[in-house]
Amino acid sequence: MPRLKGWERMGPTDEELVEAFQGGDFSAFDLLVRRWDRKIQGAIFRIMGTEDEARDLCQETFLKAYRALGSFKGESRFSSWLYQIALNLCRDRMRRRKGRTMVSLDDLDEDGAAFVSRDRPSALDLVEKGDLSRAVASAVAALPEEQREVIILKEYQDLTFLEIAETLGVPLSTVKTRLYRGLGQLRQHLEKQGIRGTAPVPATFP
Amino acid sequence: MECTNVRDELIEVLYGEASPDAARRIEAHCAACAACREELDGLRRLRQDLPAWKVPEAGRTLFRSPQLMSRWLPAAVAAALFLTLGGVGGLALAESRFRRLLDEREARHRQEITALKASVAEPVSSVSTEDDAAMFVRVQDLIRQSELRQAAALNASLSAFSERTEQQRRYDLARVSAGLSYLDGKTGQNVARTTELMGYVLQASQKK
Repeated sequence: MPRLKGWERMGPTDEELVEAFQGGDFSAFDLLVRRWDRKIQGAIFRIMGTEDEARDLCQETFLKAYRALGSFKGESRFSSWLYQIALNLCRDRMRRRKGRTMVSLDDLDEDGAAFVSRDRPSALDLVEKGDLSRAVASAVAALPEEQREVIILKEYQDLTFLEIAETLGVPLSTVKTRLYRGLGQLRQHLEKQGIRGTAPVPATFP
Repeated sequence: MECTNVRDELIEVLYGEASPDAARRIEAHCAACAACREELDGLRRLRQDLPAWKVPEAGRTLFRSPQLMSRWLPAAVAAALFLTLGGVGGLALAESRFRRLLDEREARHRQEITALKASVAEPVSSVSTEDDAAMFVRVQDLIRQSELRQAAALNASLSAFSERTEQQRRYDLARVSAGLSYLDGKTGQNVARTTELMGYVLQASQKK
């Protein structure tokens, strides 16, 4: 079951809204957009790495959803279906982007110095500057696509294993394997930069 | 118990999605197996670091071709010559590229509006429960709303593109001046004259 928080629990469920839309009440779609657009845009941002693309692809996701919702059969949760559309758009865009790399404008000074020195700041530099956020971002970006998607859906979108399996159309065991491998790679990547985790964690078994 | 066989359950415990039975099995295993205990602790520590990655309020990025970077110097020199010879023509070329992208995007948005109109119009015929006139008004309203939304999106992307054009211009200028300073060091006086000329061109283009 999707874990709903606060106001989300109050209104109609996604499935009820979908039914209303399919029955001709198109305003139901507005509610679905308002409920999901921030989450979807956040997921796309973490996959693509730029706000422009996140906005652009989020818009495309909902446009596609609007066109296809009439024939949505409800075989999966609406949210899984929506994530599916978003992930497919991201994969398409990634494939087109292949061979090109990203540079953040923040890396440039007024004279365009980052373009002059070909070295980008290493993850170690970032950590020394206390920028764990960027170190984590670059570690996640370095993961193979399949692992990156699972890590983002689990760690940052807070989906359950079951929801991820449904979204990606793979068995539960595959989700866990990809997650395990992805976490292992992240750990290696970060440990290479001298990050060994923050405070010790008490071993608890719920 | 083989360590590789407990991995799925280890992950379930890590995310609090394990059944009580699985949790007990992992607890027992970790009590006996130092490697798995360390593995679980390590993953827990890692998971404490991951939330440090926040979605920024405003972070902009540009595409950059690695091929271009690997041939940065000749490209910069060529750009400098091109700009010196062609004046602001070089920038105009860069801008026309963005203008084309912009046109493409506008065309796409227009297509989408048309498609949206069509898709909104379709279900109307199948819904007969409401009075036709009232339905017509509602559909009109929906189309207007969606057009407004599309127009807003188009405006947003228009301004994003003009912003990017400006960024591209700054990037080109930076590359050109970097190329020039390289030439400066290499060939001295000759290039100093070019630099002077460049300064003039840069000024002219900024005025423009």
